[in-house]
Amino acid sequence: MSTSIHTRSIWTKVVLYFILSIFLVFFLFPIIWLVISSIKTHYQTLVIPPKLLFKPTIGAYRKIITGGMLKSFKNSIVISFVDIVLALLLSIPAAYSLARFKSKFNENIGFWFLTVRMAPAFGVIVPMYIVIRYLKLLDTTYAVNVAHLLINLPFAIWLLKGYFEELPLEIEESALIDGANRLQTLIWVVLPTSVPMIISVAILTFMFSWNEFLFAFVLTSNQGVTVPVLVAALAGTMTFDWPLMCAVSIGAMIPAFIFVFIVQRYIVRGLTLGALK
Amino acid sequence: MIMKEQNKLLIPSLAITAPIVAFPTVFLFYVSLHQYILFIQEIKFIWLENFNNIITSKEFLQSFGITAIFVGASTFFTLLFGLALALILNEDLKGKGVFRTLFTLPAIIPPVVAGFAWKFLLNSEVGFIGGYILPHLGYGGSVLGNPKLALLAVIMADVWSRMPLMFLILLAGLQAIPPDLYEAAEIDGANYWKALRYITLPSMRSAIIIALIIRFIDAFNLLETIFVMTSGGPGIATQTFPLLGWKIGFQYYNLGEAAALAIIMLLMTILVSQALIRRMRS
Repeated sequence: MSTSIHTRSIWTKVVLYFILSIFLVFFLFPIIWLVISSIKTHYQTLVIPPKLLFKPTIGAYRKIITGGMLKSFKNSIVISFVDIVLALLLSIPAAYSLARFKSKFNENIGFWFLTVRMAPAFGVIVPMYIVIRYLKLLDTTYAVNVAHLLINLPFAIWLLKGYFEELPLEIEESALIDGANRLQTLIWVVLPTSVPMIISVAILTFMFSWNEFLFAFVLTSNQGVTVPVLVAALAGTMTFDWPLMCAVSIGAMIPAFIFVFIVQRYIVRGLTLGALK
Repeated sequence: MIMKEQNKLLIPSLAITAPIVAFPTVFLFYVSLHQYILFIQEIKFIWLENFNNIITSKEFLQSFGITAIFVGASTFFTLLFGLALALILNEDLKGKGVFRTLFTLPAIIPPVVAGFAWKFLLNSEVGFIGGYILPHLGYGGSVLGNPKLALLAVIMADVWSRMPLMFLILLAGLQAIPPDLYEAAEIDGANYWKALRYITLPSMRSAIIIALIIRFIDAFNLLETIFVMTSGGPGIATQTFPLLGWKIGFQYYNLGEAAALAIIMLLMTILVSQALIRRMRS
């Protein structure tokens, strides 16, 4: 970047920083506003113009616990972690098989993988709802888990398949010649080189599961409710408890934010993964 | 050929996963060809009647228009702003790493929370924008209660939550351009805008088209944000296809017709993305 096309005068830089600041306000203000409102009392959120100085309270967060709303957080955590484990356990061998086991059948299978992602969620939930209702699994975390797995699995297989196809075959071949079987080769030769990719896929799986609203909304009513369903339910009621809704929203964002700061490069990789394939 | 012999061992894992992967779409087709109404026991095969009912309904046409505006505007602005941000943050600026991280945040926020955040901000009684800023600018009415403004508001909320992803994809595309292209251009005396027009944008062609495909599919199928903000209202002012499908399937319990609409949408998605992919390859 040493060419003169990339050297900028001080004024250009001022303008660029100015534009960036506008975007920064646009992006961050809604989040900051949620944080501020979550530590106000109900009365304080109603005051217009909003006061900048007020005595913060954690009453809203306490209400999450006393109001029995922790259960939906627990559900969301269980569902997303079980989903990561199941999605990886099933997708890794399947993707590896597809990458190495060439046949006419698997040339066309890519189409099916993508249709689930391209179809509208309200459509995909129709068959799932019918089956889960038939199995009498409505309002359980299992139901949501299965629904999320049905979306995550094809996507994970598709991403991992593309990745495995790029790996050089020589090392695997020599492992097989040395007497290892396919499973051993996968576990001891392929997986260790694929850790970053697997982390990215795990993060994508987690984010889908944690953020997903519609399936959980249709499949659960009380016991199996997840955090996004709770947010939507609170936002839809007429008794607007703004601080509580903001506090729940903050709670819904926290896991993703933790991810951003701990595994940022995997997040960016994960988010753009679909684009690179 | 030791690899070939070992291939047999791969069959079990495929046998387990293939039905799971194929099930939703296959069963969706099945449902779409039946009169399938929840709480009514009898399920009748009715050929394409569901499709016919959907396409000839008045609401389908209205929703089509609203969907076109929503998807068009949202795609245009997320891409335009995402590209602008990517170009700026590809410059040699201090603190660009911090900006990149902060700009990524909305992309990982649950869509229902994005919807709620904007619903709260735009609320005409307690919202910072709807109740404080807009009245000062001379508009005291409800934003989400006004058909035109409500559509604008859901577009804005969607741009807010999805622009970061476009920014990341386009930035990745930008960083993949080999620097020597610019060196050659500089020798030829090109300025920044010429380089942008003749080097940067053409080199980003596939990144832009991929971003466009992802964005189109995403905006076309978006339900959560609109659902939380307006539930498709006021009236049907923000009722895009997914909200219409939701209403048919889970408020009128007509799963067959909802499945038919889903398949129509899926076909539209495939058509549009195929057309875009062809443009990318040509």
